[in-house]
Amino acid sequence: MSKKKTKYKRRYDSLPTVLLFVLPALIPLIVFWIYPILRSIYLSFTNWDYISPTYKIVWFKNYASLFRNPRFYEALWHTVVFTAGTLFPTIILGLILALLLVKNFRGSGIVKFILFSPWITPTVAISIVWSWIYKVDGGIANTILTNLGMSPLKWINSSDTAMLSVIIVTIWKSLGYSMIFYLSALERVPGELYEAGALDGAFGWRQFVDITLPSISPTTFFLSIITMVNSLQAYDQIQVLTQGGPAGSTRTLLYMYYQLGFQEFNMGQATAVAVVMIILTAGLSLIQFKVSEKWVHY
Amino acid sequence: MNTRYSDKRSLPVRVLSLLGKILILGTASIFTAFPFIWMIISSLKTKAEILNTDIFLPTSPQWSNITGIIFNSPIPKYIFNSAWVSLVIVALQIVTGAMLAYALVFLKFRTNKLLFTIVMGTYMLPVAATYIPSYIILADWHMLDSFRGLIISSTVSIFGIFLLRQGFMQIPKGLVEAARMDGASHWRALWEIVCPMTKSSFITFGLMNFISTYNNYMWPSLITKTSDYFLVSQGLRAFFIRDGAYGTEWALVMAASAVVVVPLLVLFAFTQKWFINGIGGETGIKG
Repeated sequence: MSKKKTKYKRRYDSLPTVLLFVLPALIPLIVFWIYPILRSIYLSFTNWDYISPTYKIVWFKNYASLFRNPRFYEALWHTVVFTAGTLFPTIILGLILALLLVKNFRGSGIVKFILFSPWITPTVAISIVWSWIYKVDGGIANTILTNLGMSPLKWINSSDTAMLSVIIVTIWKSLGYSMIFYLSALERVPGELYEAGALDGAFGWRQFVDITLPSISPTTFFLSIITMVNSLQAYDQIQVLTQGGPAGSTRTLLYMYYQLGFQEFNMGQATAVAVVMIILTAGLSLIQFKVSEKWVHY
Repeated sequence: MNTRYSDKRSLPVRVLSLLGKILILGTASIFTAFPFIWMIISSLKTKAEILNTDIFLPTSPQWSNITGIIFNSPIPKYIFNSAWVSLVIVALQIVTGAMLAYALVFLKFRTNKLLFTIVMGTYMLPVAATYIPSYIILADWHMLDSFRGLIISSTVSIFGIFLLRQGFMQIPKGLVEAARMDGASHWRALWEIVCPMTKSSFITFGLMNFISTYNNYMWPSLITKTSDYFLVSQGLRAFFIRDGAYGTEWALVMAASAVVVVPLLVLFAFTQKWFINGIGGETGIKG
């Protein structure tokens, strides 16, 4: 290796070159990501109503009234229920399906194709289809229930079952995603681990618990965080199926934010909810970052 | 799982587990495919048939429902809007993303680490939290209710930057340096050396972002109010709730959904592996 090369390596690139490569992405990133986040935090300390040109700084008044508002706690609770209700089935069923599909067999390609297909179709389109399936009179869901000898449900028309209905659609949509994620994780489990385990008599369930599950635990963890972050931001299916109703039973934090900001134009309150969501997501990301740092040398 | 080591199980156990496997995969496939199948079946029914729960299949398929949507409804216009807006957005995202990823991996400057931290920091933040200020920005620029507004607010994909950075890091640094020694500019090094070597990352990036932009609903529906500028999700939703259609014209609503969904399924059938790469293979997650 020549001296010239080492010399070249140490040199910094010129500022114009760096700016040329960085700015096309950085400017939009600042204008439509970083500035808006900071602006949201600022607006959450004001009483702006979007229409009036002036507003006052009210400091923590928005947060105080938010934390006194039962609607906020309802929305927070719905977010927790929705997140938990989508997280566990998506992870567990995704893993089961991946375990069954990790070894190729005749037809496994088509099964994977089917299971993953909801993920690429527009949520709005499939939510419309599901609202037809859920229709109380004449919907296929109730027809099936009746034929199975069960009593029909009111699905998205009752505050008892609306959340369940939205959760089912969300699981239906995201199952293929977690399956694909697990498939690639399972393929990367080193074969020697199974061979070593086999020598110790680890088969079947034991093999799964002692070898497979620990090997894929970083994937499980990452997938859990991603699913939670996605659940926090779910909008399309709620908007089409229930619009947060009936009686606010499917109003999550994000939907509350949408209603406060874009229907009631209460920008102060809306951005306060946004800040709560930022804190929740940042918390999740931080946990994910810290834990995966620990697991990298696993 | 790994059947190579399960062969010691007795025959009945193996038969049972095979049956279990077929049962689980079969149920999951039917559950997943059913809404699509039901959508297509329903879209071919008459107004009377669709409200009669005893009828599963239409007696004679009403293809006119589908042709009506294709030739006599705004749905194709929304599909066209979505397709070309997404193409422009993805093209821009690829250029901006590739340049930033190149800078992060191959350029040497003092704030490199800081820049990466900033980009990384925005990755998981809830995008909806940016919507109110972004809306105000577009309003100030008089870009609400226009394709320009849609495009200009989406010229960067943080996911894409990560995906490309992941791919670029696999390339030996010496290759780029050698090209530089031969007098190639960074610009040429990016597009003539790095890009061809990470083609699969670019394809995955393009396809995944095309689909997500094409399907995007919340942000476009907040900033566009005129149906001329509707993307497909918003257009479909407007078609769904337009006066009278809700509850009575289910066959037409299903036909419209089918016209939107089926081409995407066909596209996906040919490009499946790139999506799978993007989700599982190149996320850089060990496990």
